[in-house]
Amino acid sequence: MASLWALIKKDLIQEWRSKDIISAMLAFAVLTLFIFNYALSLSPQAQASIATGIVWVLVVFAGTLGINRSFSAEQDQDCFDALLLGAPDLSLVYLAKMLSNFLIMALLALFLLPVYSLLYNYSLFNGLFVGLILLGAWAYSAMATLLAGLSVQTRMRDMLLPVLLFPLLMPVNIAVVKAGAGILEGLPFADFSIWFTLLAAYAVIITTISSMVFEYVIKE
Amino acid sequence: MLSKNKWLSVLSVLAVLAVFGALALVIFYAPLELTMGLPQKIFYFHVSSAWLGMVSFFVAAIGGILYLARGKEVHDALSLAGVELGLLFSVLGTVTGMLWARPVWNTYWTWDPRLTTMTIMGFTYLGYLLLRRAIDSPTRAARLGAIYAIVGFVSVPLTFFSARLLRTIHPTIFGNTGEKMVMTSPMYQTMAASIVAFTLLFVVLLWHRVRLEMAQRMLDSEPEEGTAKHQVAKFDARGEEQ
Repeated sequence: MASLWALIKKDLIQEWRSKDIISAMLAFAVLTLFIFNYALSLSPQAQASIATGIVWVLVVFAGTLGINRSFSAEQDQDCFDALLLGAPDLSLVYLAKMLSNFLIMALLALFLLPVYSLLYNYSLFNGLFVGLILLGAWAYSAMATLLAGLSVQTRMRDMLLPVLLFPLLMPVNIAVVKAGAGILEGLPFADFSIWFTLLAAYAVIITTISSMVFEYVIKE
Repeated sequence: MLSKNKWLSVLSVLAVLAVFGALALVIFYAPLELTMGLPQKIFYFHVSSAWLGMVSFFVAAIGGILYLARGKEVHDALSLAGVELGLLFSVLGTVTGMLWARPVWNTYWTWDPRLTTMTIMGFTYLGYLLLRRAIDSPTRAARLGAIYAIVGFVSVPLTFFSARLLRTIHPTIFGNTGEKMVMTSPMYQTMAASIVAFTLLFVVLLWHRVRLEMAQRMLDSEPEEGTAKHQVAKFDARGEEQ
């Protein structure tokens, strides 16, 4: 537990000192929202059905931008060797990376929700909705962190992550968008609770499998 | 060195005969379906291809797990062969489905769960191949490919399940949701024959592909001391020095 916390702290301190990733992600997300506004001529009437979709796409795209960098420090400075020597258990390295990515994604989401609500005069501040986005962010980080560990070791690096990630992320995308639409349209929870179950199942399964296979990601 | 395998030769001939036999059954034996007519006949090969598109993922994942556990190259070759055949059969399944859908659904494409899942599966296979192509070291390609095959295999049923929760208009033969398609026993026999023939073809192709991959790697690897290839390599090296 102590070493897990130490690893998370390392990532967060590193990010806190530079703020490279989070600032790029936030700017990218807001700019993409502006593109969507004109590309899809977003009108206040259409809000309930597409608001979740828009917010989730922003989270996924901006998240991919950020998570792509999550192993680049280790790769560039050859710190994988240090992690191999230092970490008591390599699945902890994965869990720590996954959790720090999740925290950054959560920060991004908690920034995007008020911005979206402000710009469209449409409140997304619903406890269940925030919970849904956070659960989605966990499912997303679980898969993206593992695949970032793969793509960083290839020649194509940043280019490859979306191609590897997006097909495998399909269940998460469907579940978040469907559950979100249900919440914003004010349906009873029982109508869309299955999507929450699916998201939670995905997150737990992928987190478990990833922490099992992660040692093969970094061990030559 | 890889030598000719008698069983594989026999099996290859059998597979080709079986596929032609199934084709003959589809054309001459299976009756015309009442409402769909002739386009329905593509269904026999469509179902077989789709089935193998899914089986391939299983093969690839098993190969991946065995490779990570034991580190034998042949398991990596199995995984790679599984993915390549998976891409082939899922494209075949999708294309035959689209040809069928045009006259029956009046459109080539709907966002139906099965179509979507099959296509996403194809993209996962493609991702695997792109991943391997972008890695120079063969052992690293094998290792990372195995991991991707495993998580891909886990994610595909979840994709299917999540898409299935949305409504479906795809006819179902097995299971109990969606529009029912009623089949007579000659149709069932033809379908069973097609699936068996395609599965046999799949096994033969898989076997050939694994052997080809192993032969390729043997050629690429350092020649062993004393073999003819080693002598040639030594001779070439001397030539370059002078």
